[in-house]
Amino acid sequence: MPITVKTFGSAGEAASALSSDRAARYLGGGTLVMRALNEGDISISTIVRANDHALRRIDAAGPRVTIGAGVTFAKILAERDLAFLHAPARSIGGPAVRNMGTVGGNLFAPNPYGDFTVALLALDATVTVQGGFGARNVPIEEFLQSRDRQAGSLVISISCQKPTNSEAFRYRKITRIRPKGGSVITLAAYVPLSSGRLLDARLALGSMAPMPIRARAAERALEGRPLDASSISAAASAITEGTSPVDDALGSAWYRREIAGVHLRRLLSGQE
Amino acid sequence: MLELRKDIFADERDDNLKEIGKGTQRQDMLGHVTGTSTYFDDHKLQGMLHLKVVRSVHSHARLRRIETTEAEQSQGVRRIIRGADVPRNLNTLLSLINFGKDDEPSLAVDKVRYKGEPIVAVVADSPREASEAMAKVRIEYEPLPTVFDVEDALKPGAPVVNETYPKNTFTYYEKYDHQKLRFGDVERGLAQADHVLEQRYQMSPIEHAPTETNGSIAAPDTNGRYTVYTSTQALFFSVDTCAKILDVPSNTFHFIGGTVGGGFGGKVDTITEPLCILAAMLTGRPVRYVLGREEEMQYGPPRGAERIYITDGVMRDGRIVARKVRAYFDSGAYTRLSSYAAVKCAAHLPGPYTIPNVYGDVYCVFTNRTPATAMRGFGVTAMDFAIECQMDKLAHIVGMDPMEFRILNAYRDGDMKAHRREAKNTALIECVQVAAEKAKWPLRDEFKRASSRQGGGGARAVVPAATREAHAPTVAAAQQRTVYDRAPATAPSREPPPPPPPRPQAPSHGAARFSSVFGTRRR
Repeated sequence: MPITVKTFGSAGEAASALSSDRAARYLGGGTLVMRALNEGDISISTIVRANDHALRRIDAAGPRVTIGAGVTFAKILAERDLAFLHAPARSIGGPAVRNMGTVGGNLFAPNPYGDFTVALLALDATVTVQGGFGARNVPIEEFLQSRDRQAGSLVISISCQKPTNSEAFRYRKITRIRPKGGSVITLAAYVPLSSGRLLDARLALGSMAPMPIRARAAERALEGRPLDASSISAAASAITEGTSPVDDALGSAWYRREIAGVHLRRLLSGQE
Repeated sequence: MLELRKDIFADERDDNLKEIGKGTQRQDMLGHVTGTSTYFDDHKLQGMLHLKVVRSVHSHARLRRIETTEAEQSQGVRRIIRGADVPRNLNTLLSLINFGKDDEPSLAVDKVRYKGEPIVAVVADSPREASEAMAKVRIEYEPLPTVFDVEDALKPGAPVVNETYPKNTFTYYEKYDHQKLRFGDVERGLAQADHVLEQRYQMSPIEHAPTETNGSIAAPDTNGRYTVYTSTQALFFSVDTCAKILDVPSNTFHFIGGTVGGGFGGKVDTITEPLCILAAMLTGRPVRYVLGREEEMQYGPPRGAERIYITDGVMRDGRIVARKVRAYFDSGAYTRLSSYAAVKCAAHLPGPYTIPNVYGDVYCVFTNRTPATAMRGFGVTAMDFAIECQMDKLAHIVGMDPMEFRILNAYRDGDMKAHRREAKNTALIECVQVAAEKAKWPLRDEFKRASSRQGGGGARAVVPAATREAHAPTVAAAQQRTVYDRAPATAPSREPPPPPPPRPQAPSHGAARFSSVFGTRRR
């Protein structure tokens, strides 16, 4: 059966096309879908596209930023107001992938990819999804847990609160080759200090589970404490709780568990 | 910046170089930078069909049943090709030079020996339809025990990977299970040495990762001939390999190569052309067969993994007096070119150094891994890595500067090499001297003055009397632990290599010339 490409003028129409066809996939930048097609993935028979400007819009002027799902990583890197997201955007692929790959597509990228999503998870982003019955806002954690069942809906945008200062949000991707390596572990930490103590700290991990996850035990170890050697040490020793890494070509599950705490300690104590 | 050191060996060269040292435009550069170079895949022929291969999901399994009825009826399918359709479904690459036995089918028939081995080829109007038909091919496997480690493969009772070679080793000269090098008496040398260092080195397979994956397009031509556009880096080798597998004269084919989108040794195995041409023969249409990226990475042949054990004996003054090497080349499930790599490796021992006692056993071993092939100095690269690591460690043990240690042990003109050939035009000493100078690495005067043309020959030109191997020394050489040893001090005793077969009469040196592949006298 040949592949059908359907292009729509609005995200809403594209979303209806997606929800009515099980074998339809939305094509953002194509870095995942075209690769699958080129490798002979026969589960895809319809490609849905949307030429909707709303998908490519960035609203970063206020304290809460909204990024269209079709915004590329190159676009994010060109946006000064999104400086806090430059590190995760830069950690993805090479220039060609960053020119094509989109924020929305990254939400669906399997391991060892999906690094930007790890950052968004630590920022507790909200995902706006257009389904057959209109748009709704979903917390990113909930969205990721039901990711495999989201095929029939379309992500419109992602929004999150800007970190209050550059120290409050930290990101680190551990790769075997630099640049352009796939993730051995990706770490993102939202660690806002309020009168010297951590409030609502959030830690997110990539490549430590089938999808990006929050490290709740390590977050609890930080909560209400100053960001010092003892709290960092407590968080580092709890970082692997609830994780389920696997062996792959980039690293073994054992190795990932061993180094997760080391890199969390470096990230939180500001070491290179 | 290229700098020619014409002062070195100036008298040995007629110094009228016309090309070396001058900037010369590569002949294909204009096409590359303007994007007009033509690759095999730039040919879109009318009515072209697409071939895809159903591959084994097991590393070692008997094929109980291959069911293709549903796939044959799938939309757009023109032909399903099975092993029985291949005229000569058993080949080995170097059979063209009478080296090795036919051991590899184009399409597996009775069993599969590595994950990704081709079983059935699907020819369809589009790549998509070929993929859809592939999903409808049903294969029943009966998994067999696997072996992935070269030394495990040599143990008694190991699974037989390739029935052509039931001992899991390539057969040299129709009787030997490894390549052997003997010079002097290595056991005596080790016993007399002040320090003995044994180390293990393990290499991993390396994928060539070409930008353009392996592939070809075959099209029927007039007079029963076939035009083949291919990415091969060994055009005439591929022509003859296809002629053999398809059992036709080689003038049946018009192979058109040209720009190879990255070869490095990964495009000599002729893995796409035979099936591609066969599909064109069976359908009468042009056929394209290109490996996907994942196929290229997982099933395209890599550089083979090698395991190397080196035991060296060194004197306090820095002279290496014995080098004993045991190396295992992981050929994967089929021979391809690893048999030749082992020959090259044995010929390279003991590296560019003059050592009076040398012992080498080099095995080409079959395992259930992806067949390995050529890649950039294969057979020598890994051994050199091991030898040079070993040189640094030895220098450290005797407290010598590593550069000076190499100059001390370097071969010089007139020395006898372990292969009983006189060393000529040696230049290691000069290379080390220049490297040290460029790196501002201090050398003592006596080493700065050393020359490849002095100090060689004489006692160093003597071929030691051949040693009998029947009685191995009962006393093991004194082992010295070093800071480099990571394993616990009580290293488990390793399986000794199988007892060597009776040795043919040692050839008298000098007069006999040896072909590197056949080991027979060149006429």
